[in-house]
Order: sequence, then structure tokens, then C-alpha cells
Amino acid sequence: MRSGRPRRPEAGESVSTRRAGAHLRTPALFLTPAFVVIALFFVLPAVVTVFLSLTDLSARTMTNPTFVGLANYEYILSSRWTPIVVRNTVLYVTLTLAFNVVMGLALAVSTSLLPDRIGNGLRLLWLLPRITSPVIYVLIWQALLAPAPFGLVGNLMGISRNVVNAHPWPTVILANGLIGASLGMLIFTAAIRSIPRDLFHASAVDGATTWQTVRRVVLPLMRWPIMFVTAYQTLSLLASFEYILLLTNGGPGFYTTEVWSLWAYKEAFQSYVGNVEFGLGAAMAAVLVVVGIVASLVYLRVFRFDELLSRPKVEVN
Amino acid sequence: MTKLVRTTLFAVVLAALVAATAHAQRTVNLVGWAIGPDDPAIHRAENLEAAVDLMNAALEERGADYRVAIETDFETVSWDDYRRRILLGFESGQAPDIIISSHIDIGTWADAGYIAPLDDYIDRYEAFGDIADSLWDFVTYKGSVWGVPLNPEARPFYFNKKLLAELGWSDEEIAELPERVRSGDFTWRDVIDVSVQAVEAGVVEEGHGYWHRPVNGPDFWHTYYAFGGRLQDEETGQLVFTRDAALGMLTLYRDMVEQGVLTRDLINMPWNDWHRAVTDGRVLFNSAGTWTWAQWALEFGMGFEAVEETFGHALQPAAEPGGRPNTLSQPLAHMLFAGSENLDVAAELLSYVVSPELDVRALESAHLPVLESTRALPEFVEDEFLSQVVYMLDYTTAQPIHSGFGRYSDVFFRAISAVEAGQVDPEEGVEIVVDELRRALGDEVIIE
Repeated sequence: MRSGRPRRPEAGESVSTRRAGAHLRTPALFLTPAFVVIALFFVLPAVVTVFLSLTDLSARTMTNPTFVGLANYEYILSSRWTPIVVRNTVLYVTLTLAFNVVMGLALAVSTSLLPDRIGNGLRLLWLLPRITSPVIYVLIWQALLAPAPFGLVGNLMGISRNVVNAHPWPTVILANGLIGASLGMLIFTAAIRSIPRDLFHASAVDGATTWQTVRRVVLPLMRWPIMFVTAYQTLSLLASFEYILLLTNGGPGFYTTEVWSLWAYKEAFQSYVGNVEFGLGAAMAAVLVVVGIVASLVYLRVFRFDELLSRPKVEVN
Repeated sequence: MTKLVRTTLFAVVLAALVAATAHAQRTVNLVGWAIGPDDPAIHRAENLEAAVDLMNAALEERGADYRVAIETDFETVSWDDYRRRILLGFESGQAPDIIISSHIDIGTWADAGYIAPLDDYIDRYEAFGDIADSLWDFVTYKGSVWGVPLNPEARPFYFNKKLLAELGWSDEEIAELPERVRSGDFTWRDVIDVSVQAVEAGVVEEGHGYWHRPVNGPDFWHTYYAFGGRLQDEETGQLVFTRDAALGMLTLYRDMVEQGVLTRDLINMPWNDWHRAVTDGRVLFNSAGTWTWAQWALEFGMGFEAVEETFGHALQPAAEPGGRPNTLSQPLAHMLFAGSENLDVAAELLSYVVSPELDVRALESAHLPVLESTRALPEFVEDEFLSQVVYMLDYTTAQPIHSGFGRYSDVFFRAISAVEAGQVDPEEGVEIVVDELRRALGDEVIIE
């Protein structure tokens, strides 16, 4: 129950402005925590990274870094390894992403066709690598792929070589892909389950085969989940390097499996004699931030994200 | 009654005095970090704790109003992780008071002002005077002493005696091998020849003739030195890269891979797989460290007797007949964090760490003691392995103390990896290293 008379507008304050302000107050209240988190943990680090990339900050100059302008970026551009690392990054992101999405879809569709108990069991099994620590996961891979007589694969197939070194790219992509596919599997499974049952009944009445139902009913309704998984995994793969670090450390040889984020990590944090180059590492990371933003914008356009947010053309009450 | 009051008063005053004395005695808490990463080197951390007991006894004797306590941490995973942790500690001002790390870290850390010079302390405590003179060179940088050395080692060239016998070598021939290496009669080319014979005779599998370490580290430099390489200019302190030496070394490794002596998959092999293959008797020759002897015996379950029966040790061979064989030492050093609030106490503690009864524990991990007086102890004299390898220190070499050496080392290691993987030939590898060194280090490196 409201007490007292409503406040009269002050001189110069229009009724419409006051109403608009009141209208925004509640959303602003709810959005503020998210804005604060984004500003603190996303925007600020990106700004600091760009700032650091303009300095010569290293273990040696930690107490007295100097401003070097774009020298770190020039250093990256003039490196003979830059084109190779870019190529590796594109190869790694594209192939692993394709594996993740296709495998995730295949798993989601196939386990959805099975009785729930078996489907859920299989999905649970597939999640095991994701909940295993990366170091343990890689140790298992190394144990499997070590040269005979220590490695299982070597023993079974009679290969006396270390499979990680002999086939570094397939190893890196498979090790990452098998983990990555589980995220797509979960999201796609949820999406399949949210498809109204009527559509399946209708397609069954029309005499559609299982493949036709998947092709004509399920996949067309999966556009947004596929968009999300593709965009999310692209960004995540651009920044991920831990499995490569642990499996091949970017080798064998000169930068054979070195991706951009691993290169940046090594410059910024890894050196046999502790002199690490934070400024150079930050410049590399800043490049990655820009690539990530551009990739996100491209995805939003390609998948027509605005349509997802627009009001539905037909609303049923 | 009066007597009771007097007694009570006396008791109260006494209790107050005791309490006051106890209250006045403060404890200085120190933190010390040490690294193996091999398990048998745990004494590095334990010695800091034992030194605290020695120091507290001395403090009590001289009636000091404080005692010392220490919290130690022993890293067993990798140097990389350890150095990263220390660096983050330096940056955040939370580094330990005492840091045990390689002497080559001194360059970067001293330049950055992270560690404190120790010259005053070295003069203050007599105990430091017992440290072998030659070891001070490893911890001296830009005219100051930055660390108290510990656990110097040699890095022998090991041979599997049983496999050589299987190949048809007589006991005498096997026993003479260290002397042949020492005289420059048995060179790296002979390593290839014997390995090829062993592979052809089926004594070892292809690629298991000779193994160097599988990851970046110091053990490559003795081979570079054997080919006449220089790493640092004595006068200017600049780093040096000798093209011919690097080419000789990379050609050696390329030939080893091509002739089936060295597996092209060696680089990046997990250390455990490396040691398992060696201790299983699947590798004829290998380059490792004196501490590896203890690792094989304790960590890989061979026991010292079996290690002694299986492996022989020599200097790292010369490149050419009549050339000089060598080895390499990378002693560790106790360093003090410049930001420590207890620098004086930490420095005094180090003077107790360098006591013979603690120094002699270096033998447990097959390292050498630093004190002259420890080398006279029966434990050292009776240690067959260490007393046999101590001569290697006469042939030892060192890595440079220079803050750019990390980058230098990384670039050269990548070249070794690329040549062994067949990605580039040795000439191309050398040119890539030269370009990279010039680009990364500019005037800090001399290319010769």
C-alpha cells in the first residue's frame, strides 16, 4: 500500500525521462554484477595485456621495465616461425573443431536413439576424460603410445617408435578431440531432447526412416546449439595448449606442433634459465585476443545471431 | 604465615622471571625451497632443517634471545615448474628466504635484483672457508659472490658392460674403456662404430646405441665443447656461438640417427621411459649425471650392486682422436632472497649447512661434497663410485652465467631436435640458430 502523495516532477524533469529512468533501474540492478565481473576479469586483463605488450618486461627488467612501443609486435612479425605457428594454429583449431562437432553430434544422435539407461551410461563413460586431470590424461596417452615394450599400441601393432613423435598431429588432435567432443555431446543431447515429440511422431507417420528423421527433423533444429558449440570451441581451442605442451611440447623439431598460445606461454613463462619475456608473451596474447574477437564477430554474422535474439514472428499464448 | 607469604612471593617472582625470559625469546621463521628433482636429493631440504638444530644449539650456548625455525619444500617434478614458482615468489615478494637452485640462475636473478650478494657473509663465517676454492667460480658473477655452492657433480658417459661383453668385448677391453676415453683414443666416432656393430649383432635394437638426455638441459654442452665450441667470452662476458663446433655436434647427431645408433624419437621422451630403457639393459651407451647412479639404484629398483655390475663410466669422449675428453658440472647454490626480512639469520644458517656431517649427505644422491674436510671423511673415501669419478672434475666445464643463456639454450635445443627429427640438415640448423641468436640477443652474443 502506497503512503503519501506521488512526487511531483521537479522543474525541468519531464515525466517521460523519469519513467524511462525507472524503467532501466531494475535491469541495471540485475546487470551490474555481471558488468563488474566482465570488467574485472575480461576487460581489465585484456587492457593490461595490451599495456604490457608495449614494454620490455622480463624476469631481468621486472623492477624497471621500459616502454618499447611496438617493438614486440615487430619482433613477432619478423620471426621466421610466425607463418609456421599461424599455420599450425589454423590446422589445430580447424581439425580439432571439426572432430569435436561431428563427433559430438554423432554421439548425441546415436546415444539418443538408444534406450535411456544405455545412452546415459555411454555418455557418462565419454565424460571420464573430461573429469580426469590433464596431466593424468596425457600420462595415459604416453603410456599407450610409448615405444615397445612399454607402450600398449606399440606392442599390439609392432611399432618400435614412440607414436607421439612419429605421428604428432594425429595424436594432438585425437587427444584434444576426444575430450572436446563430450561438451558437444551434452549440449546436442539436451537440444535433441527439447525437440517436441510431435515432430518425431509426425515423421514416423509419414514413413520417414531413422536417417531421414535425423537429417530432416533433428539437424535443422540444431542450428543454435551447433553455432554455440562451434563458437565456444573455436575460442577455447585458440587459447588451449595444455595437451600439446604435455604431449609434444610443440615439437618434435622446430615448432612442428607449436600453436600460438603455446608459443606465447613459452615466451612468457618458460625458459630453461629463468629469464622469461612477459612483454613479448603479452604481445602474442594480445594478438590472440584480437583474433578471438574477430572470430566471434564472424560467427555471430554467419550464424545470424540477431535472429536468435529477435522477437518471434508468431507468439502462441 | 610470614614465611608462607615470602615463599609465595618468591615463587611468583620466579615464575614471572621465567615467563619474561620465555617471552623475550623470539623465533625467526625462515622458509627454504630445494629441488631434486630426483628423489635421493631430498637431503638438500633435510640439511636445512638439520642446520636449524645445529644453529639453535649454538644460539643457546651463546645465550642469544632468539631461535630459528624453518619450513622447507622439496620439488620433485621439474626445473621448469620450480623456476616459475620462484619467479612468481620474487614478483609477489613472497619468495622463500633461502632458495636452492642451479648456479646458472644467478645471472638473471642477480641482474633483476632478486637475490642478495653474499660477499660480507662469506668473510664473516669461517665455515665457508672450507669450501673448495674452484667452486666459488661457479657462484661469482660481476665480481660478487651470489651463492653458497652445494652438490657439484660430474656428468659421465656410461656404458653397459654386459652388452659390451655380449658384443664380444673381453673384461680387459671393457675395463680399459675409461682410460681409452681419457686419453682421447676412443672418440664420438667410435661410439657410432661400436653402436652400429651392436645393432647389427642384435645386442641392442636399432636406435638404442647411444642416448643423450631427452629434454633441454646442460648435458649437450659438453659435446659442443668437445667440438671446440665456446659459450662465453671471458673478457667481455658476452655469449659466444661457435659455428664449426655446433655443426660438428649436429652432424654427429644426424649421423647417429641415420646409422641407427640414436632413435629419432628420443627428444621429448618422458624421463621415466628413458631411465626404464637404460636400466632394462636396452641401451648401450648414454650420457647422464653422477646422481643418475643413485637414481638407478634407488628410484629404478636396481640396487647399487646391480648398477655397479651393469654400468661402467668414463668421461664424455673427445670429438677427434687425441682430442680432450670432458664433462660438465652444474653445481647448485644456496641463494638468499634480497627481499627477505631475515637475511642475516638466513646467511648464518648457511654457515651451519656447510658442516661436514651435513655435506657428506651429498653422497646419498651420488653428488660430490663441497668441503675439503668432507673429502677426507671415511664415508667419502670408502664410496667406490664417487672416489672413482672425482677425477672427472679435472676435466669439467661449466655453462655461462648470463641472463640471455636461457634463450640461447632453447634455440640450440630446438635445432638438435629438428636435426634428429630429419626436419633440417645440420648446416641449415646452424644457420637458423645463428639467425635466431642474432635476432633475440643482438650484441649480447658473438658469432664466430
